[in-house]
This record gives sequence, C-alpha cells and structure tokens, in this order.
Amino acid sequence: MDLTYLLELSVNGALAGLMYSLVAMGIVLIYKSSSVPNLAQGSLVMLGAYIVLAFSNGLGAPMWMAIPLAMAFMFFAGMGIERLALRRLAGRPIVMILMMTLGLDIFLRAGAMTIWGGSGRPMRIGISDDPLFLGPLLLNRAYVVGAAVTLVLFAVFVLFFRTRRGVVLRAISDDYMASWSVGISVERGVALSWALASVVATTAGVLWGSIQSVDQSLSTLLLKGITVGVLGGLDSLGGAILAGILLGVLESVASGYLDKLLGGGSRDLVVAAVLILTIMIRPHGLFGRHDIERI
Amino acid sequence: MLFRQAGIFHTDYAADRAMFPIPLDRWMVGVLLALGLAAPWVFSSLALTSYVMPWLIWAAAALGLNLILGWAGQFHFGYAAIMGIGAYTAVHGVRAGIPWEIAVVLGGLMATVVGIVFAFAALRVKGLYLALSTLALQFVMDWVISHVPAISGGVSATLQAPTLRLLGQQVTSEAGLYYVALGWCLFVTVFMLNLRRTALGRALVAVREKDFAAAVIGVQSFYYKLVAFATSSFIGGVSGAILVFTFYHAVTPEQFSVNVSIELLAMVIVGGLASIIGSYFGAAFILLLPGQINQLVAWTAKLMGADIGVETLAHIPQMVYGALIIGVLLVEPMGLGKLYANVRNYLLVWPFGYARK
Amino acid sequence: MTATPTQVPDEAGDEVLTLNNVEVIYDRIALAIKGVSVQVPRGGMIALLGANGAGKSTMLKAVSGLLAAERGLVTRGEVCFMGEDIGGLAPQRRVKMGIVQVLEGRRVFEHLTPDENLVAASAIHGSRHDMARNRDMVYTYFPRLRERRAAAAGYLSGGEQQMLAIGRALMTQPKLLMLDEPSLGLAPFLVAEIFDIVRRINREEGLSVLLVEQNAVAALEVVSHGYLMDNGRIVMHDSAEAMKKNPDIQQFYLGGAEGRNFHDIKHYSRRKRWLS
Repeated sequence: MDLTYLLELSVNGALAGLMYSLVAMGIVLIYKSSSVPNLAQGSLVMLGAYIVLAFSNGLGAPMWMAIPLAMAFMFFAGMGIERLALRRLAGRPIVMILMMTLGLDIFLRAGAMTIWGGSGRPMRIGISDDPLFLGPLLLNRAYVVGAAVTLVLFAVFVLFFRTRRGVVLRAISDDYMASWSVGISVERGVALSWALASVVATTAGVLWGSIQSVDQSLSTLLLKGITVGVLGGLDSLGGAILAGILLGVLESVASGYLDKLLGGGSRDLVVAAVLILTIMIRPHGLFGRHDIERI
Repeated sequence: MLFRQAGIFHTDYAADRAMFPIPLDRWMVGVLLALGLAAPWVFSSLALTSYVMPWLIWAAAALGLNLILGWAGQFHFGYAAIMGIGAYTAVHGVRAGIPWEIAVVLGGLMATVVGIVFAFAALRVKGLYLALSTLALQFVMDWVISHVPAISGGVSATLQAPTLRLLGQQVTSEAGLYYVALGWCLFVTVFMLNLRRTALGRALVAVREKDFAAAVIGVQSFYYKLVAFATSSFIGGVSGAILVFTFYHAVTPEQFSVNVSIELLAMVIVGGLASIIGSYFGAAFILLLPGQINQLVAWTAKLMGADIGVETLAHIPQMVYGALIIGVLLVEPMGLGKLYANVRNYLLVWPFGYARK
Repeated sequence: MTATPTQVPDEAGDEVLTLNNVEVIYDRIALAIKGVSVQVPRGGMIALLGANGAGKSTMLKAVSGLLAAERGLVTRGEVCFMGEDIGGLAPQRRVKMGIVQVLEGRRVFEHLTPDENLVAASAIHGSRHDMARNRDMVYTYFPRLRERRAAAAGYLSGGEQQMLAIGRALMTQPKLLMLDEPSLGLAPFLVAEIFDIVRRINREEGLSVLLVEQNAVAALEVVSHGYLMDNGRIVMHDSAEAMKKNPDIQQFYLGGAEGRNFHDIKHYSRRKRWLS
C-alpha cells in the first residue's frame, strides 16, 4: 500500500514536474541567447493565460482560436519587452538586468490585477476532471496532457535548433562579437528568443490555468521554473526536461511525507532547498556548460 | 556656480581628507541636519509618523544593503529576512526582560550570525547564482520564521512589540520615537560616509571589482566578503528592530517577506549603487512615490468624473512601483544618485562646461 | 629615410576600401586612432603592421562596424567601401555589402560543429544552393576542416580554429576580407600554411585582403604593400620589399629592438604630425 502511494506520488510528481519544465524552457531559451536570467517568466505565464481569457471570454473567440491568437499576441509582446526594456541594458552589470526583470515582473503582475482584478477565473480547455487509472495508480488527467504538450514542445525546439535559424540562435548564444562579425543580427536573434519564450509561457499559462485557475498566483511558478532551470543547467533545454521530472518527483514525494510532520507548506521549502543545494554543489546544473560559473 | 571649487586650498592633511571639502555641501548637510532635528515641529503628526520616520529607517536599511551590494558587489536578495531576524530577536529579548538597547544590539548580532550563513553562499558562487541562492535562503528563512512557533508565535500570529525604553525612560511620544529613528539613521550614514575613506571600504571595492585580482594584491577576498556580510547584516538587523519598535509596534512574518527584499533591492538600485545620498532618494522613491501617484490618480479620476473601482485603485501603486523601477533603469541605470552627481558635476564647473575633460 | 612611399596605388576609384583621416574615440574619452588614412586596392593584399595597442584592431572594427559594441565611435574622417561612405551602417549591412572581419583570437562558435559554424555565417535568406557551394569552396581551401566537420569547434586545434574562422568569414561571400592577427598563438609552419591559403584565395577568388599582423616577417612575405601603425597613427606606407629592407622595421620587428619604441625616432614622430 505504501509503495503504491509512493509510486502514485512519484508519477504525478513527474507529470507536474514536466509542466514546471515548460516554465523553465522559457527561461532557458532567453538565457541561452542573451545570458539574461528572466525573472519575469512567471508573469509572462500569467499574462499569457489572461490574454487567452481576454480573447475567449472578452472577444468571444472559441478556445481553439483564442489560444493561437494569444500566442501570436504574446510573440510580439515578448519581442516588444526585449526591444523596449532589455536591449538598453545590454552589457550592463547583471544586477541591473535582474532588477529590470524583477521590475517587469512587478509591473506585469500589478497590471494584470489592475485590469482583470484579483479573483481567480476558470480556464476551460475541455480536459475532464475524471482521474485516469494506470493500473492501481490514480493519475491527474490535466497533468498527463500538460506533460505530453511539454514533451512535444521540447521535441519541436530540438528540431528547431537544427534548422538554419536555430543554428544562428545557438551561434548568438556562443559569441555575440563573432556573430556580428559574420553579419548575424544579434538583436533580432535575442528578440526572437524572447518571443519564443513568451509563446512557451502562454502554453504554460493555459495548462496551469486549467489546473488551478487564472490569477496572479500563476506568476509564482517562477520559483519552480528557475529552480528547474538552474538544476538542469540554465542553457540546456534537455536539462530543463530532466530537472523538471526530478524536481516534480522530489517535491511530490517529500511534501507527501513531510507535510504531515511539518504541518503543511513544505512544497516551497523543498524547492528552495533544491535551489540552494544545486547552486552550492553544482552551480552549472546537471547539463549546463561548465564555464558559466566563472565570471 | 554654486559648488565652487576655486579658492579651496588644502593646506594640511586634515583639510585634504575632509568629508565635505566644498562649502555648499557643508551648508546643505547642515540645513538637512537642522531640518531633521526640527522635523517634529516642521511636519504634521501624520507626515512625521507615516512618511518621514519610516523613510529614515528604510534609508538606513537600504544603506546597509548598499554596503553589501554597492560597495562589496555581493548580491543579497534576502535582506528582509535578515531584518526580520533582528526584529524578532529584539522583540523576544525585550519581552524576556532584557533592556531595550541591549536587546536591539542582540537583534543585530543575531542577524549577523544568520548573515554569515548567507556569506557562505557568497564564498562559493558569484553573480546570478549568488542572487538566486540568497533568494532561496529568503524563502527558507520565511518558512522558518512563520513555521517555528517559538519565533513567530505560530503561523499567521502577530507579536506585540513592548514599549520602547531608552536608558530606562519610556519613549512613547511621536517625537521621541522619531528621534530614535533619526539617531540610528544618522549613525549608519556617518558610518557609511567614513567607510569610503577607510582601508575596509577600499578593500571592499577591490573585492567588488575583481575578487581574485584583489586576492593577488593581498586583499583577502574571503575575509572581506565575510566582514561585508556581517556588517551589513548587523545594520539590517538593527534597522529591522527599530522599524518594529518605532513604526510597526507589532511584528508579523509578512513584514519581512520576499517582496520586501525586492523592495529594498529596488531602493538600492533605483537610488544608485554605492551612493549614500542615492539610498535616501531610492527609499523615498520606492516608499512614498507610488502612494502619492495613486492619490493623484484617484484625485484626477474624481475630477474627471470617471469611476475607478476600489480594487483597480488598490493595485495602481504596485504598478507604479514596477514602472518606476523600469523607468529609472532605462533613464539612468546607475540610479538617482548618479543623476544627482551629474547635476552636481555640471554645476561644479558651470558655466565652463568644457573644463570637465 | 624610406618614410616617403615609393609606389602608392593612387589610381582613384580602384580602391575597395579607403579610410580618410579617420579618428576613433572609445567611451567618448579615449582616443584610439587619429588621422588614419589607408587604402586597399581592388584584388590587392595589404598588411597593416604594428605593435600591441597601436590601434590596428580598432581600425579594422571601424571598417567592420563592430566598434559600437565596444562603445567606440568614428568621430572624424570617413570610411568608404567601393566608393560609398559606410560610416553609419550596422555591422550586418556591411557584411551584406561584402566586408567581413575575422576577429582576433579566432572566436569560433565553440559549441557548434564546423559545419554549423559555416551554416550560421551564411546569409539566412540566401539559397541553400549558394550555401552548399560556398561550403564546398571552404572545404576545398581547408581540407582539414572537412575531416573534422562533425566535432565541436571548441575541440579543434588552434590552427584548425583559425582556418574555420577564415572559412566562416568566406561563407558571407565577401569582397574584402580583413584578418586580425591570424598568426596569434600558432606554430610558424601553420602560419605559413594559412598565409599561403589566404594568398591563394586572394588570387583565385579575386578577394581583397587586409591583413593585420604583428608577425611582420611572415606578413611581408605574402602582401604587396604594408602600412605601419604606431600609437594610433600610420607612420609608414611602402611596398613589402622596401619595408623588409627598411632598417627600422628590421630593428623593431625582425629582431634586436631593445627597450626602444617608435617615439624615439624623430622623423616618424614629425611625419605623423604634419600628416594629420
């Protein structure tokens, strides 16, 4: 019985973890191309979800149309954020860039509250609430869908980075100066990575929104996203996937047992502990490039 | 024009090392000091207790964070937790019967001890990773404070702060509390002003610029990072304690949550890294401006007859706060202190602008 | 003595690149080069020699447009490419026009394979056919790269990386190739091999080459003319043969310069004063 419980916790944790990877993937995309740790990714997730709702509830578009529309909107919103806020700070000390993304986070979060209010709104994308049975295990259907979408997106990105434009993005992340020297438009590449990260964020917003509901607490996914990102290595997409599974399992199992001992709220503690331990033991993460810890 | 350097001759070392060699600077400091002392009579009771006093305490805390961030160049995204440790220690100390002054110092010392835990992260990593690990430590500290009943008195409990007793005298009047805050703020400011001229300050700057290069010329970066974290944590702990005793009068975990850490960070960065006057500007900017702008918005809305919902209105200050951070970083990444310095440098040689280079 | 040029290519309009009295300032404060005038003839191969910090790299970046990334600015003079002033253009535009710079220290994309390095450098909207043809050309000139096309570029040897950097630049189909210290950290026989290949490319593809070097001996073997730069100024311009024979060049670059520099030689200092 105990083993089944453990297994159930792990499998559901892994599925939820893959959905953390979705948040982390956005962070990795931006970090890879521009070395900017985007602390506003959580807010982008929240914003994406609100935009989907704005298209579906506000303008009456059906869900299958609202989501692509919101993705297109967020694509340009991401580009705009890079262009207006981040480009001016290129080459400045990292603390200012961090502060800028924090400022964006605060601004987007409060902006969403100002426009849409603080109460949660449901996001219905047609996933039934009935649990899915895998042998004796009880799986959350929404998590299964979320995990599948994450894996598909991951595959898409892996393929994308083999295309010519993908190779150019990787070149940019390697060496700005050399990229300029052979005529690559670095600015456009970085803007593209922000745009893609915003699209990924919208996906995450839809999935997480359908699980909890759309409110500003979606932006707190940042902590999990950044932890997954760091654990996997901030410049490794594959690392983000694996680290997501790892963190999901760990969080689910640990809080499944610890909550009884500590009286609730141990999820965030586990996440924070993983983040600290990763940085202390292996700052470049599981698959990150080794050189990133030297400054 | 106003800041005239001509005619200032340093005839001995004391004059050469003076803190404010330019007469106008001295005058300005004097006027500000007089204004600070006369504040209880100058400002209304409301302005004094809800604007001026918290501003001074937050400025002191921002100076403490600036010491670690601006001077030593080490990221600290968990400064609110340090302040919280100081506040809780001091409150518990006074409740246990320890004299107020000693309890506050104990709060500072306890914060120092916890701050050194943060410092160990700094000895291992730098930059982004230090930022993230201190942020994670803030979450851990939040959790510990709110989940250990011995500290917080239980989840979501409020701990009443005892009356402030300075040298055995009860201080309860607004002016009295204000002077306590002013005194601490002045103490920190004078300390920071002098830090710039000491070997410690120079060593910190060396560590900031390149820690291993500093090590090569004989500055032990290991030691100075520890010292920086310890000193700044002490300032933070005492500031937290004074904030609770003079302003909040009660202590809850939310007063020192992660958002407060980010707010402090915003004060330092908006104010300007390694700028003393900037820390004052930053604290004022982040603490007071969003509320003022919100009142302006509400007032305009009323004037225009537009009806803004209460909920909308409640979130505008937060939005303004985010926008202020973004705006200042875009206009002058070095912060308001740098803007002030630009104006001062301009006036220093006006009207002979070309003389600067 | 040989300060006066013996045969400057003066035929107007036949220069690929003309720098006219160019001055560059970094950070609005630091003057890096002043009054530099250089010409690269069409299809020619020119060397720019000079010691560390003479301003050679700065000059190249003024041409390629990479100065802006280092907070540098051309404050005076003009940079003309094929008779057109390119002063305000972004680096991408200049690459499109046919100027490419091979950066000092190779700077290959370390985490990409040589193949991907070449792909990254080819114009994103160009046809696949052009790309394949250019890549074949690069592999013909540098057969060694073909052997290692699938390894991460970071693991290539220094010589191979330099070849890759040059090959990568060739993928942009340039008209002017600017090489910044290609001999840096390479064994003499490799330097000779690479210079030979560059010479061949110069002849066979009709590509103009501007070679920036400290290794004057090797450089003067392959170029037709040379410029000598010191302290941000051009202090000598002559044919390669004449430069090789010049006693001062011999003293400073071909051995035996002990603790002296060009400031000590009066006529250079004086010449640069009335030139600029």
